[in-house]
Amino acid sequence: MTMNTTPVEEKPPVKGLSPWGMARKKFLKNKLAMISSFFLAAVIILSLLAPVLAPHISPIPDIEKVNISKMNITPNGEHLLGTDKSGRDVLTRLLYGGRVSLLVGFSATLIVIFLGTLVGSIAGFFGGRVDSLLMRFTDFVLNFPFLVFVIVLNTILHGKVDGLWVLIGLIGLLSWGGVARIVRSKILAEKENEYVLAAISIGCSPAKVIAKHLLPNVMSTIIVQATLLFAGLIIAESGLSYLGFGVPQKTPSWGNMLAFANEPDVLQGKPWMWMPPALAITFTILSINFIGEGLKDAMNPKSTR
Amino acid sequence: MTTMHETTHTSDNMSEDNLLEIKNLKTYYPIYGGFFKRVVGNVKAVDDISFAIKRGETMGLVGESGCGKSTAGRTILRLMKPTDGQIIFDGQDITKLSGSKLQQARRDFQMVFQDPYASLNPTQMVGNIIAEPILNYEKRNKKELKAYVKSLLLKVGLPEEAYYKYAHEFSGGQRQRIGIARTLALNPKLIVADEPVSALDVSVQSQVLNLLKSLQKEFGLTYLFIAHDLSVVKHMSDRIGVMYLGNLVEIAANKDLYQEPLHPYTQALISAIPEPNPMLRKERIVLKGDVPSPANPPTGCPFHTRCPVAMDICAERKPPLKEVRPGHFVACVLHE
Repeated sequence: MTMNTTPVEEKPPVKGLSPWGMARKKFLKNKLAMISSFFLAAVIILSLLAPVLAPHISPIPDIEKVNISKMNITPNGEHLLGTDKSGRDVLTRLLYGGRVSLLVGFSATLIVIFLGTLVGSIAGFFGGRVDSLLMRFTDFVLNFPFLVFVIVLNTILHGKVDGLWVLIGLIGLLSWGGVARIVRSKILAEKENEYVLAAISIGCSPAKVIAKHLLPNVMSTIIVQATLLFAGLIIAESGLSYLGFGVPQKTPSWGNMLAFANEPDVLQGKPWMWMPPALAITFTILSINFIGEGLKDAMNPKSTR
Repeated sequence: MTTMHETTHTSDNMSEDNLLEIKNLKTYYPIYGGFFKRVVGNVKAVDDISFAIKRGETMGLVGESGCGKSTAGRTILRLMKPTDGQIIFDGQDITKLSGSKLQQARRDFQMVFQDPYASLNPTQMVGNIIAEPILNYEKRNKKELKAYVKSLLLKVGLPEEAYYKYAHEFSGGQRQRIGIARTLALNPKLIVADEPVSALDVSVQSQVLNLLKSLQKEFGLTYLFIAHDLSVVKHMSDRIGVMYLGNLVEIAANKDLYQEPLHPYTQALISAIPEPNPMLRKERIVLKGDVPSPANPPTGCPFHTRCPVAMDICAERKPPLKEVRPGHFVACVLHE
């Protein structure tokens, strides 16, 4: 070295720990979040392995088929959780139902996060007219009557398109407003940092500034939002299916299975039909929420837990 | 008033050795108001300044906070849109460039930022922070690039291992070195240093300043050095411009300005530099009142409201920046 500057005083540790690395470390220490993660992982694996695990292995049309000779059987050796009013094995449907409920929740969350982040980050970064235009559109979407819209469109499209994907698309297209607002406000705060100006001055295009500099710094918020949305959208699916406007009724989903409980005799006398899906929903949602809280804690540099 | 001081000092020595020429630059921040959010006024952060910087020299820009020096620096680098005027960099008018053309032009002028804590992306590895400007302009062999980035780290006085770390693992001075390495990566012609040491401990300040100086020699850099600390500017600059309320009130060579300041504002500033030797202490000129709002600047000379030697004429007419001695420009009625 030719210059007269003294080399740096303190020597930092050899291997750097990224902000993500630190968050991971913190998350792994959070017991409740870890237990929840294992539980959720188990639910997902069981659902994915439904065709193998289900006691009454059968291709999908068979799960949907009514079997009058086996109606309303109480739990026994052959049917561990009994059968429902149409004579279908509850455990088999519970496993397959998990697939549908999780699929709807997950896919809709992906759509919502993608649209919300896209709109929110563009509005936040460019500001001005772009911002007000996009945010007014967001308000418009947020004010759509969700239930009415889902019911009407589902009725119109019934039978023409696969009901499951119509539902996913609808939930996705109608629910991104909140995420867009949150992402926008986060970007607004984050873009005041000088590193954004630095990125522009070293020749980054606006798209690169957003994708490479801003989004990684608001990612923690987006991930936490995604987790909570995942839970929320599973509930939305169950609610809609319970009302009969969600997943096509013959397809097993936790919400559809719960729908049996709207008959008093089932609710009072045949708990094996609705208890399993109800518990599955409750514990899955709980675990997702705990994971969300854990992530929020882990990614917040200020929390000491 | 707009054309007068441009002609006085930039046109006569407009030559090949000027890397940067600023002509009548204005940057206003609009104030929105009313129900329809219409522009109801302007904050005149930079109000008609002109100067030039020669290749290889360091031009200092001083002034108290809020006088528009940072805005001037950012506008010159086109990180902000100028309201009016001209920025000629290396013979090219960059005032009206936009989009990819501006992006291309940026590689020759870079900036060192004030806050070393906010100017580095916390999610990026230091090696990637420094390599990014290069990747924005050219494709490079990965190994070569890594070796180049590591050589830059050594040049700014950081160990090679810093490549694999993150910004939060470094102290303020070290972070500023990382920022300097990033600006050096593209081998720019001009570096605007916007208060590069004001956020650092005094003990670290001189290290970073000396680093900047030695890099200037090694790479033949031209600096626009913005600061509010007069002793820092004195240490760094060949020529110094003094700003007040968005205006340049005096430009002179380093020695001339400190030995014989002509503008009353500069005199007041220089009298405020702490003097360690009690025998040499002179009387301080204390300015009364506050800096007027740049949204509603006073008429005439911007300094007349606080000037200890103001006359009636000062409120009526804004004196142009005029060369009163070779290389010494001042905008004051007393020196016309």
